[in-house]
Amino acid sequence: MKNRILIFIFLLVSYLSFSQEIDNDLLFIKERLDSVVSYTADIDLETDISFINMPRKKAEVAYSKGEDLKFSSDDFVMLPKRGLDFSLGELFKYSFITVLRGKKNIDGIDHKVLNIIPTDRKADFSIATLYLDLEKKRISVAEISTKKNGTYLISLQYEKDKNVLPNLVEVSFEIERLTIPLNFMGKGAKIDRKELKKDTAKEGKIYLFISNYKIFKN
Amino acid sequence: MMSLIQIEFFKLRKQKRTFYALGAIFLIELIVFVIAYFQGGAILDALLSTLKDTFYFSGKLLNGNLLTYMLLNSLWFHIPLILMIVISGSITTEYQDKTLQAVFLQPVSKWKFILSKYIVGIVFTIVVVLLLAITSFSFSYLFFGKGDLVVYLGTLNFFDSKDAFQRLVLAFASGTVSMVFFSVLSLTLGIFFRESIKTWIVAALFLIVFNLLSQLDMPFLAMNTWFLPKLNNTWQYFFYFDIPWIQIILHLLILCFYIFITLIIGVRIFQKRDIG
Repeated sequence: MKNRILIFIFLLVSYLSFSQEIDNDLLFIKERLDSVVSYTADIDLETDISFINMPRKKAEVAYSKGEDLKFSSDDFVMLPKRGLDFSLGELFKYSFITVLRGKKNIDGIDHKVLNIIPTDRKADFSIATLYLDLEKKRISVAEISTKKNGTYLISLQYEKDKNVLPNLVEVSFEIERLTIPLNFMGKGAKIDRKELKKDTAKEGKIYLFISNYKIFKN
Repeated sequence: MMSLIQIEFFKLRKQKRTFYALGAIFLIELIVFVIAYFQGGAILDALLSTLKDTFYFSGKLLNGNLLTYMLLNSLWFHIPLILMIVISGSITTEYQDKTLQAVFLQPVSKWKFILSKYIVGIVFTIVVVLLLAITSFSFSYLFFGKGDLVVYLGTLNFFDSKDAFQRLVLAFASGTVSMVFFSVLSLTLGIFFRESIKTWIVAALFLIVFNLLSQLDMPFLAMNTWFLPKLNNTWQYFFYFDIPWIQIILHLLILCFYIFITLIIGVRIFQKRDIG
């Protein structure tokens, strides 16, 4: 009896896995994004992390499909490891299935909500939830749970309806509290024991204002 | 009065101790540079290690501005100690060598004499801090270049290179007032104890106690504002992301008041006491 149940579960899971198709709207959006071969852009960065004060910074990014994102700046800049891939190429790099989760209204616009579940172990995320703006054929929000770097949420805003790449990206993520070496403590720095006893992770946000796109398409 | 001041400057120039003190300050600077060169990167790595999982970093933080900041931090204990030794020595040696008695064989006003020592002590302090600032900036920028400054004061504060330079200059200026206080205090202690070793021990003790008490939080804000050890950290306020100008000005004014009181006490003791 136990074996029969196990065989049934195996067959059911296999059936469900192979019968899942990739959502057509997502495929269309993916094709639009795939058409971007490379781009360069100027980025203005604003950090919103409770324990970091940083003035607005400028950087330049250069993206080429299949390569790591390159960035340069005259200043010291901290760029989020996640969320800089505006084409969301990482999500579509390995095979995946999609699961429809329904619809959600964001800022008065109906969005299709999809889960992306990678079927290849090499993918560095375990699940992603995408909010698709079907009218403008693009992704508005992506919540991605990575295998190593926790969960992060990307909200994308576009200047023009026809734009494929966003002009404002808000990346929200969990960040661990700083551990400060004692010899770097300023004289006025105080250790708040109550604060230290609280949870170690905090939420941080980075706003990326992107301009001067130079996009090369297929 | 002017001639008395000139004589005091002459005495200061002739003292070997003055040049040993300047040499010691530059030696400390050199040591900080060497430590920063070999360990600065590791300290920064440790500081930013928790952020490395989330962020890419571009640009270097081990630069001239950070070095100057490190010098500021390292020297606010050593510089006053050296200044206190040199400046208190200007009166204690006169007591010990009995040169005071020779001076007052002339028709010299006691308060003018001692005031000229205070004035020279203050000018010397300002010159030392100025020299320190100039050498810190020039050597730091020469060997480590310019760049953004990162400071941890409860939060991790980043400053653009230009902003960092301005804040460091202001911190040196504010720190000068603290240094002047220690110099004036050491001279007053010298007048009180009349003996070099005793004065140096008490001056060093003052400095240590001040440093320890600077971490003490008083129950009321007003007490913190008037609590002398707290005022000597005022230069650090320039590295808060939003500079608390009112607090800084208030602290510096109160510190000037303490300097004045300490000076008056010293002059009064000197006037009332027998020079012998």
